[in-house]
Amino acid sequence: MKILLIEDEAALRTALMGSLKQAGYLVEAAADCAQAYEKIGLYQYDCVLLDLTLPDGSGLDLLRALKAQKSPAGVLIITARDALTDKITGLDLGADDYLIKPFHLSELNARLRAIIRRRQFQGQQQIMFRDLVVLPELAEVQVRGEALTLTKKEYDLLLYLLANPGRVLTKEAIAEHLCGDAVDAADSFDFIYTHLKNLRKKLQEKGADNYIRTMYGVGYKLSHE
Amino acid sequence: MNLLHATTRYYLFLALLLFAVGSVGLYHGINWALRTEVSEQLTERRRELLAKAHANQLPPVSQLAILLDVSRTPRPVGFRDTLLLDRTEQEWVPHRQLTFPMVVRGEGPVWVSLRKSLVEAEDLLGVVLVVMLSVLALLLAGTVLLNRWLSARLWAPFRHTLAVLRRYDLQQHQALALPPAPVAEFTELNQALNGFSQRLVADYESLREFTANAAHETQTPLAIMQAQLEQLLQVPALAEDPAAAPLVADLYGATLRLSRLHQALSLLSKIENRQFAQAQPVRLDQLLEERITQLEPLFDARELRYGLNIAHAPVVVQMHPGLADSLLQNLLQNAVKHNVRGGELAIFLSNTELIVTNTGPAVAGDPARFFERFRKHNAASESPGLGLSIVQQICGYYGFGLEYQLAESGTQHRLRVVFAPGPAVPAGRPSGPNRVAFGEKKQPGAVFDV
Repeated sequence: MKILLIEDEAALRTALMGSLKQAGYLVEAAADCAQAYEKIGLYQYDCVLLDLTLPDGSGLDLLRALKAQKSPAGVLIITARDALTDKITGLDLGADDYLIKPFHLSELNARLRAIIRRRQFQGQQQIMFRDLVVLPELAEVQVRGEALTLTKKEYDLLLYLLANPGRVLTKEAIAEHLCGDAVDAADSFDFIYTHLKNLRKKLQEKGADNYIRTMYGVGYKLSHE
Repeated sequence: MNLLHATTRYYLFLALLLFAVGSVGLYHGINWALRTEVSEQLTERRRELLAKAHANQLPPVSQLAILLDVSRTPRPVGFRDTLLLDRTEQEWVPHRQLTFPMVVRGEGPVWVSLRKSLVEAEDLLGVVLVVMLSVLALLLAGTVLLNRWLSARLWAPFRHTLAVLRRYDLQQHQALALPPAPVAEFTELNQALNGFSQRLVADYESLREFTANAAHETQTPLAIMQAQLEQLLQVPALAEDPAAAPLVADLYGATLRLSRLHQALSLLSKIENRQFAQAQPVRLDQLLEERITQLEPLFDARELRYGLNIAHAPVVVQMHPGLADSLLQNLLQNAVKHNVRGGELAIFLSNTELIVTNTGPAVAGDPARFFERFRKHNAASESPGLGLSIVQQICGYYGFGLEYQLAESGTQHRLRVVFAPGPAVPAGRPSGPNRVAFGEKKQPGAVFDV
């Protein structure tokens, strides 16, 4: 899975690259429009992470160029909160999704997964993890072939965990994922706790024990073993 | 009392005083002059009579007595004032009298009294005084009228300056451009004010730029901190050390709070700097439903019951979509945050107003201060206390009315946003039959327009 990251802040670029590589992606980075034009001219990417404010031009022009090339790559816009109109323009131009800075890396993973899944028509339309199989088209979850009934929020939560396997997810990131970006996290920790407890219980009933680990004082993690 | 009235008052006072003194002086002066004149006439006649007596041209005393008041007995000699009865008009008339002795040849000495009426003199005095008083009255009236006219004309530039100052709004980022006035002092004043406002605008502008730059420059390090801390949490060594992970997690949480605070503050400063120019029709009803769906887990977690009532959808309001979102979000979040477990929340939206009502513990203090920045109901709260301040700024930006009411029981809070505050609508009015309400018993709460 090949990803082009276009971000002008070096430190942020490094952090994002690290996280994406950990998630198993092949990442290339561009620091400005010139580099980005060069890369999209030469290579094919599955997804482009596009910062809209770049030192030598607007990310929106890059987006137009991508669409003009009829590039199959998905586009995830990264934007500052105040550039809301840019975000709307970006979506109109054919971007798949947007993220408002600053964001949780785990949220970025989840959004990327969703974009790639939607764009991969030839690939497998299911997510597999240990004994779990999720069919996103049908919103169905199976444990060793047995269907698992989940509420909407529990399903969202499971997908979020599956997008970040083996990764520690902070409770703030989970709360924001389920409840929108600006929810005061302190208010919402008790409800993630409830949802996680229920999800765990349902998994456990089907024999999928110990999938979700609690990282004390930090958050949760979908465990490989 | 304005300046001109005050000076006029002193003018009039001085004029009255001078006229009083002048009138008294004039009266005495004229009186003295007239009496002197009469006395001189009498003296002249005495001289004539004495000359005639000396030349022996006078008739005998018996004949003389018909024309003159003559007495053979001595009388006090000299001038005196006396009253004589005027027989035709039957009134006492003041006279000046000169008595002197005279020797008529062959008849011995006689005492003659010459008299002259002072009535003409008094009439003259009266005329003079009347003229004086009329002049005084005319002068006073003239002064008043002149001042009125002056105040309308000469002071017009000053009034203009004052009106401009009253309307002046620093947030428009424009220095005053007051024109030179015909009066030097006003020109000076205008120049001073122009210079003053230029400095003010420049200072404000540099402060604003500084804030904007500072906000922009903090944003990136914050994003980096957040990303790197999240990466740090993934380090396997951290999982093995039960003490270290919560430390990093706390650090991460604090970074998030800082970044949220930063976002709220830059939003506030952007509104103040009027950087949300493009207003467009926003479907507030759709946005509200979206927001509520998003917040539902939070309602569940706090066991809040909520009622949403949208009258006459679609509700379209002209505003910036980002600000519309921020307005709804802050109102809803406020209603959740200050609620009690198992409480209630009601949202009513129509074309004219948005009302968010929530249960919650009574809040002490002046309701106007709830909208202040960093105002917290609970000092230990993690939220920075900017939500209502943002709501207030957004309402102020679009000229919406904003009211807060506390129900009689002190446990029900109500925030009302009026989209077009036209003719005043009585507060606490139930708006339509499909209004969501629970235990409506309102007291006239604090009402303030933003």
